[in-house]
Amino acid sequence: MKHSHGLFHTLFYLLTLGLFSCIDAETYNDSPRGNFEALWHTIDEQYCFLDYKAQEYGLDWDEVHERYSRDIVDNMTDKDLFNVFDRMLAELRDGHVNLYTGFDVARYWDWYEDYPKNFSDSIQRIYLGKDYHIASGLKYKVLDDNIGYIYYESFSDAVGNGNLSDMLQELAICKGLIIDVRNNSGGQLTNADRIAARFTNKKVLTGYICHKTGPGHSDFSEPYPVYLEPSGSVRWQKPVCVLTNRSSYSATNDFVNTMKQLENITIVGDRTGGGSGLPFSSELPNGWSIRFSASPMYDPQMNHLEFGIDPDVQVDMSADDMRRGKDTIIETARRILNEKAL
Amino acid sequence: MRRSILLLAILFTWAVSALSQENNSLPINHFVTRSTLVGVGYTQILDTYLSPAEYAGIEGRFLHERMRMTKLFGGRVSTQSMVQSNLAYTENRSGSGSEFAGMVNWTYGLHYHFPINGNLRILVGGLGDGNLGFIYNTRNSNNPAQAKAYINLTASAMAFYKFRIGQRPFSVRYQVNVPFIGAMFSPGYQQSYYEIFTLGNHDKVVRFTSLHNQPSMRQLLTLDIPVGGTTLRVGYLGDYQQSKVNNIRCHTYSHAFMVGFVKNFYLIKHKDPLRKQLPF
Repeated sequence: MKHSHGLFHTLFYLLTLGLFSCIDAETYNDSPRGNFEALWHTIDEQYCFLDYKAQEYGLDWDEVHERYSRDIVDNMTDKDLFNVFDRMLAELRDGHVNLYTGFDVARYWDWYEDYPKNFSDSIQRIYLGKDYHIASGLKYKVLDDNIGYIYYESFSDAVGNGNLSDMLQELAICKGLIIDVRNNSGGQLTNADRIAARFTNKKVLTGYICHKTGPGHSDFSEPYPVYLEPSGSVRWQKPVCVLTNRSSYSATNDFVNTMKQLENITIVGDRTGGGSGLPFSSELPNGWSIRFSASPMYDPQMNHLEFGIDPDVQVDMSADDMRRGKDTIIETARRILNEKAL
Repeated sequence: MRRSILLLAILFTWAVSALSQENNSLPINHFVTRSTLVGVGYTQILDTYLSPAEYAGIEGRFLHERMRMTKLFGGRVSTQSMVQSNLAYTENRSGSGSEFAGMVNWTYGLHYHFPINGNLRILVGGLGDGNLGFIYNTRNSNNPAQAKAYINLTASAMAFYKFRIGQRPFSVRYQVNVPFIGAMFSPGYQQSYYEIFTLGNHDKVVRFTSLHNQPSMRQLLTLDIPVGGTTLRVGYLGDYQQSKVNNIRCHTYSHAFMVGFVKNFYLIKHKDPLRKQLPF
């Protein structure tokens, strides 16, 4: 099923006076079988959690090939092919794995769809009111009990040092701070680091990162330590609660891990969604684009964070509170911060 | 052994004196040839850090060259400085993805001249070769671009053949450059630039290269045509860059048609017709 470059290779050999042969990648035909093999090999050689997931829930990628290969026939439609690929990729149980076509996107979202939502934007609106402030991607205000509340919806929204300094100065009167990253599905890791740097006075080991060094399932670099350096600007010194739910994913997961390593910080809410593999992109012969986890990140004890981080205080939004327009997770955080302020 | 060394010394002395007799009317190191060419071509790009698919498309290319004789080895050595740049737009086979690529290449070095006869001259030498460029994939996530940075010591050979059609002098030239040892920047197989530049994990990102992992070549075939008082140069430039470093496979095959002008000049005014004396 591999695609042949025979004629071009001969031409190249002549053009280089017979000195060299081509350096080429393995390519596959643009057929259902060729695209299937290309997709399977991309994951087999580049996906970073095959060994880990074999341990965690018995993922056997060779067996996956055998099982889904039977569904591939020469005359199948693109949509039928997509459906096979969608099911095959779901075996990885990874929200960072997507297949993009012109008509659909294959995704695995069970990591939050199977759990309580633990966030309501209509209830959040009650807390924010109409007079909240906006510093780039950060919405913030001072709640009635003198607790500062910050909502950060996406780590893709740029946050500069100036935004952070202005916001923290505005909230300096508060006795505690809530940073709400629920429903934040990630974005730029640099934004996560920039914000976290405002909450430590010393350099802290926050975890490790590896990258694949070759196509083998176990071909990894040594783990490199990841440190958080304190910001040279305004830094917060009072208690902080970080609010999480199952939709706190990817760069948000990394942010929560970082904050968890710092002093005076309490994680409140539900387990995060995970997503600790830095995603890379590739493509299939038919042009469909694929995204997958390429570099695993760990906590300081070298534990995988792919399936999420447990909060320090586990709490779900209760139906009673929601009926009363109350957010149980915000209320829990307020109680913790008020107790710490005593 | 002694006899061999003596024989080589005699041959070398003879060769040096032969060349100095060849152009004894002018101090040969005062000859300078400059050319500036532009071109368009077809390019094929593969970089498995970005995609396993080959992208193909058009490129624009610029080349500026300066050659000058020196006094070294009795005037048998010339210098060559060459700056090339190219910019390409390419698409994958299905047309669903695109990549932009650009590269600046600078070479500088020396060639030793072996005059075969009055019309043909062979040059052999070595060059320092620096390259800086990029490939940008328009739809990738955390691997959207690849930086290209590498230096080489490069073996170089050239042949000049001069001939006349009627009374008009023409010149054909072929040059081939093959890097044989160098160093190249490359991220790890799936190492992100975030990891390299933000977290500072940059060990193993500069690797030794040679023919086994960087079999590359540049070649240039040109024809110089006298047009009025100037010289038109047309030619083919083949640029075949390949590497397999940190398990990342790359190639860029470019074929460009080049056209431009050559300027020959002599650093001090001289009454002799310049074209008769030029070594290039």
